[in-house]
Amino acid sequence: MSTQKNITVALAGNPNAGKSSLFNALTGAHQRVGNFPGVTIEKHEGYLDYKNYRITVVDLPGTYSLTPYSPEEIVTRRFIIDEKPDVVVNVVEGTNLERNLMLTVQLMEMEVDLLVALNMMDEVEEKGISIDLDQLEQLFGSHIVPISARNRKGLDDLLDHVISVSEGRIEIRKNKITFSPEVEKAIDKIAALLSHERELGAGANYRWLAIKLLENDREAYTEVQKYPVWVKIELALQEAIKECERLHSTDPEALITEDRHAFVHGAMQECVRKPKATRASVSDYIDAVVLNRVLGLPVFFLVVWAIFQLTFTLGKPLMLALEFVFDLLSKSVAPLLPEGMVRSIFVDGVISGVGSVVVFLPNIVLLFMGLSFLEASGYMARAAFVIDKVMHRFGLHGKSFIPMITGFGCSIPAIMATRTMKSRSDRLATIMTIPFMSCGAKLPVYVLLAGAFFPPAMAANVMFGIYLLGIVVGLWTARLLKSTVLKSDSEPFVMELPPYRWPTFSSVIFQARMKAVMYLKKAGTLILGAVILIWVASNFPRSQALDTELANGKARIEASSVAPELKAEQLQKLEARIEARQLEYSIAGRSGKLLEPLIRPLGFDWRIGISLVTGLAAKEVVVSTLGTIFSIGQTTDNTSLSAILRSDPAFSKATALSLMVFVLLYIPCVAAVGVMKKEVGAWKPVLFYSAYVLAVAWVASFITYRLALLWM
Amino acid sequence: MKLSELKAGERGQVTAVASEPVIRRRLMDLGLVRGTELEVLRFAPLGDPIEISCKGLLLTLRRNEAEGIAVDKLEVVESRQASWASLLRGHRFGKSA
Repeated sequence: MSTQKNITVALAGNPNAGKSSLFNALTGAHQRVGNFPGVTIEKHEGYLDYKNYRITVVDLPGTYSLTPYSPEEIVTRRFIIDEKPDVVVNVVEGTNLERNLMLTVQLMEMEVDLLVALNMMDEVEEKGISIDLDQLEQLFGSHIVPISARNRKGLDDLLDHVISVSEGRIEIRKNKITFSPEVEKAIDKIAALLSHERELGAGANYRWLAIKLLENDREAYTEVQKYPVWVKIELALQEAIKECERLHSTDPEALITEDRHAFVHGAMQECVRKPKATRASVSDYIDAVVLNRVLGLPVFFLVVWAIFQLTFTLGKPLMLALEFVFDLLSKSVAPLLPEGMVRSIFVDGVISGVGSVVVFLPNIVLLFMGLSFLEASGYMARAAFVIDKVMHRFGLHGKSFIPMITGFGCSIPAIMATRTMKSRSDRLATIMTIPFMSCGAKLPVYVLLAGAFFPPAMAANVMFGIYLLGIVVGLWTARLLKSTVLKSDSEPFVMELPPYRWPTFSSVIFQARMKAVMYLKKAGTLILGAVILIWVASNFPRSQALDTELANGKARIEASSVAPELKAEQLQKLEARIEARQLEYSIAGRSGKLLEPLIRPLGFDWRIGISLVTGLAAKEVVVSTLGTIFSIGQTTDNTSLSAILRSDPAFSKATALSLMVFVLLYIPCVAAVGVMKKEVGAWKPVLFYSAYVLAVAWVASFITYRLALLWM
Repeated sequence: MKLSELKAGERGQVTAVASEPVIRRRLMDLGLVRGTELEVLRFAPLGDPIEISCKGLLLTLRRNEAEGIAVDKLEVVESRQASWASLLRGHRFGKSA
């Protein structure tokens, strides 16, 4: 409609205040996930049409405060200042008003057009809490709209208010809270100095900037330090610090925060009546079990085990079903295309490429259903609490544990699961630990090699050792990273344990769907490209001579007078032989040969080199490539791959061990690298990491090979 | 004394917060300013972090983060902690009121 008017609304609020529920309830399917400029924080934007208005809603990250200490807070602040949304809706949790209103006070200080959405009113009523809304509105100077985002109650009322505020029909009084006299004096003085600085612009909020300077806010500092007036301001700040120290024996930052707390506490006293809580709540009883000194860890491991089983045991048949569908698709499309290159491109390149992207979907969807259930129920924070001590020892965070464990199934959902971590350095360290947690696709390689070269009992020990090595190297890597390049900005463990809640089914499904779409859109294309590239590398260039040899051989077999069954068998063998030699001739084959001098010290010849190159597509491909390439010149019938490897002079126990170690540690598959790039946000750390893991893999394999040669 | 020195079930009142800026700010944002009363509820199964309750909230923090918080120990009036003992004494389940 041409008469439609546009309104932009920003949602701000504490973590767990129900911002996302409100956002989903308002915008439904009309959503877009992007990033805020310069940071890897997700920006959820959506819109809805309401009464002739197109209302754009931006869900800002959850924050407790508006300091510049965390990227979430900086993003929130910058968005409000730079993008100037028409209305800022502050979502506050009705059951937890006191802490939530601390942010409201800080939003008030920014003098924005503020509307307070008092969420979880259903729970407020259930708990018998009474809130004097009129009085609260008087104190805060903003309209307060009671809603329940979960039950979609009060949403129309909220939207009507949004429209009224944006059109100036509701006056936002922009009340100021009054700080301690010394602070007020300093604010006035600094604000006056700022107002004389013409270059700062007439639109600037001097009072707010003055408060921020007194709060030791580094963003405000860099903003103001540019101007000559800074010399005078610095003096005023020093004076204020002295005064606060003399009169209150604290610094302005603490004093300002204390004043805000006092204001909010006073408002609570005046407006909120809670029934006396004398007895422990349900949450307390659950915690008495779940966080119990004895039961805490067993419960935690049980939950982790359940998530793992849900994701991978339940995911497996779905994964196989998808593989089957794509296999069927290849088989039914193949006859429709002319034999040769075109068919190969479509069937082996495109269809199997798409298949290799889609095949991870069941794991991703199931894992995120599980994780968002844990998150929304309130257990996730407790899980981090229980295991934090172990993780912290390696420089990681309690929240690192679940993604890491998930890595044993598949790195891709595991890397995506690190989103729950706020600190970028914690996230990066965890992401870079995950590929060392040996994933399910590497298992066939171990099974083949350990099975071929060791008796069953020993093979199990070898495999256990491999897994253990991965954990050790992973944790060691985390520690190394956190004590060097990722030293800064560790997330403090100061956080809230939210009360337990039943997650709604729709929100759990919604989260999983979002992750799936994100994976397909953002990482899928990258992975598809890389898989096709590896396919090209292992199929091109093609040797004409080998093609003719194949044609001639086929003709010879056809013309011979042996039985039809024998003919088929001979044809098969011929094709396998030619295929292997084509692989040798291809780019992958040549790079395998090119790599040989580099990997010789590890006990690998060029054939293993080829498998390692093709294994970048997916780790289980190492097995199929070994199968193709080691069957060259094989004359005996019906021999298993493990028998072939055992009889091959290039392979020994030492080679097998060295290869297992290398496959465990070297560059993860392209799908994982793609997701890593997506989550890290830049190529540089990913490339650096790839070089690092190659170096680690080489050294570890070298040591393994040499030791094995000595002892075996 | 320091918050980290309180035992489970003990109460204290904050007298100063002096951690490094990032942690200090987070502590203050979550309500740990001078004058706030708190109770140490429990320690994690491995002894760290600590769970406390203050202003009706459950908060967690690591021992080293709690070292920066100075507290005056208060007399225990009534613990909010749900223990097996209190469970056996017959608290009704499901009533937070």
